[in-house]
Amino acid sequence: MDFDWTDQETAFRDRLRALLADTLPDDWERFSQHGPASPALTRYAESFCGTLAEQGLLIPHWPVELGGQGLDPWHQTILAEEMWIAGEPRGGQYMNVNWIGPTLIRYGSSDQQARYLPPIAEGKALWCQGFSEPGSGSDLASLRTRAERDGDQYRVTGQKIWTSYAGLADTCFLVCRTSDDRKRGISILLVPMDTPGITVRQIPSLIGEGDIHEVFFDDVIVPVTARLGDEGQAWEIIGYSLTNERLGIPRYALARAALDRAVSILKAQDEFDGEAVKIEAAHCAALTEAARMASYAIVDRRAKGEAIGAESSSARFATVMAERRVCEFIVEYLPEALADAHPYLKMHHQRGIVAGIAAGAAEIQLNIIATDVLKLPREPR
Amino acid sequence: MDLSLTDDQVAILDAIDTLTRPYAGASLHEAGFALPDAQLDRDLAEGGFLDIGFDPDLGAVSAALVVERLARLPQTVEAAASALIRPLLGGDLPRPLCLVEEGRTTRPIRFLREGATVLLVGSSGVSTFTATAAQVRPEPEALYGYPMATLLTVPAERTLHAIPASEVLIRWRIALAAEAAGLLAAALDSTVAHVIDRQQFGRPLATFQALRHRLAQAQVRANGVRWLALKAAATLDPGDAALAALHAQESARATVYDFHQFFGAMGVTLEHPLHLWTYRLKALIGDLRGRGGQGLAAAAALWP
Repeated sequence: MDFDWTDQETAFRDRLRALLADTLPDDWERFSQHGPASPALTRYAESFCGTLAEQGLLIPHWPVELGGQGLDPWHQTILAEEMWIAGEPRGGQYMNVNWIGPTLIRYGSSDQQARYLPPIAEGKALWCQGFSEPGSGSDLASLRTRAERDGDQYRVTGQKIWTSYAGLADTCFLVCRTSDDRKRGISILLVPMDTPGITVRQIPSLIGEGDIHEVFFDDVIVPVTARLGDEGQAWEIIGYSLTNERLGIPRYALARAALDRAVSILKAQDEFDGEAVKIEAAHCAALTEAARMASYAIVDRRAKGEAIGAESSSARFATVMAERRVCEFIVEYLPEALADAHPYLKMHHQRGIVAGIAAGAAEIQLNIIATDVLKLPREPR
Repeated sequence: MDLSLTDDQVAILDAIDTLTRPYAGASLHEAGFALPDAQLDRDLAEGGFLDIGFDPDLGAVSAALVVERLARLPQTVEAAASALIRPLLGGDLPRPLCLVEEGRTTRPIRFLREGATVLLVGSSGVSTFTATAAQVRPEPEALYGYPMATLLTVPAERTLHAIPASEVLIRWRIALAAEAAGLLAAALDSTVAHVIDRQQFGRPLATFQALRHRLAQAQVRANGVRWLALKAAATLDPGDAALAALHAQESARATVYDFHQFFGAMGVTLEHPLHLWTYRLKALIGDLRGRGGQGLAAAAALWP
């Protein structure tokens, strides 16, 4: 067992930190407290991701033949940590490089790869994920958005909701129903957002401006060639995507960075002097580091080419526990942070609210742990 | 980073499993509140399993793995202090090694008996002495799952060790976390087996979400304690050690009640071994001034 970073990994992290320090504008913290999907951050992300792409830092973990450098999952983790700690200057593009790109690499046709991978690799693409519906949240397989086959095209009708980035996205990773079979009747279509019949309405949210939307599909015509994988293969593909996504956001890293920042502010104000505040801060740190190690155990498996399986749900739940406790610490000891005194802490708080909701509810993670890690029999349905 | 066990570590743990297999299957109906086992202790000592921390090539991580694995047994042996702290003291101090914090010497002490080595650590430094019968009052009625005794007097004449108290405290916290990780894993495994087996309302208890979610959260905690203990053993950093011990004590507090709850009345009988893990966890919760003590130590290390 070895818990040290290699020299190469340390140099990679240092390089990212230097780039962030050189590139981010002086007022970045105030600017970035608006959610990663805000118009301002989305515009900035285009230029920032362009810079990353030029320096080979946008998709370093992708295969060499697709423009990456084939760096291992540890480098991918370091990249994700440094970006998320910095307030995610890649905006919604983090999804592209984390899971949309890898999913297209694994399941996409050569035409789909040729069309969609280069813009992602250049930092010019923005996707949204059409998963949740008004009646289908955690129970994704109950979704009702319908894609009726009509010759060599589909006619899509239905509604998605709580869709991040939809307002400015150019393409939707749309999950829809192609037959009545609960799980095997679901397919994925890659749909340009300017296709006639798509209407997007923003829903104001706690995360910040521009993050959450509802998306209506009224007789939207999509060619069959836009289907990802086979008809009915969506459940398998989503499983692959979510395995990437669950580990995708290293929230434990921002939670720890926010905690450290909060402590330094409290110390500067001579308010980090009582036992209660110190002990509570330590509890927060224990949870962030437990989540970090649980996540690293998964990264280690992935780096060795092993199946990561249900243990990623354990790491994910550990991260939710850490995120919540740090949010609560800041509310209790630095309430002014949620006004406007400390933009970095406000940014953390706004993003932290969805830790247990986005990419699969925390309770779903507990179900997965119970069934697939502890091997408990399922509850009757 | 490489979080797989080394070939040596795999071999050591396999050897422990082989050695302890007869003990793991022993009848536990007469176990009582504690289940010390002198033969197991001798077997482990003779096999060199408690001396692994002396080998610089194996080090504290391997010692912590041994402690974690042994803590899963229903029997108890004094492994944590011997495996992780004895290498600091050098020489050949008689086991068991009993850890005592200065100013807290009147509290019940695990494994204390005549002939044991008592290690006293505090602001005045690190010292040891061999306990005499007159200094020890056994506590056979203690509820903790360890043999316990109270130290009646601390002799003025002790062997001083030229090592900083802070180093002993780091390893004490790692030992505590590693042992708690094994105890949590064993208690969780035992509870999981029970709720799968036990039927009520015509279905296994394990199919009720109220239990499933709490057991899943216990898995998250047990996993976290294990990783923090191993990481702290690798770095020997005071902050890592304090966080590991804090998470261990907090996780023990958060799960022990649930484990018993899910066993119902069966878990409050001495016929079932659950208490041998859970009541040991209760003993560890109070070490080094409990969660507050670990929290303050962590805060001092992380945010000096």
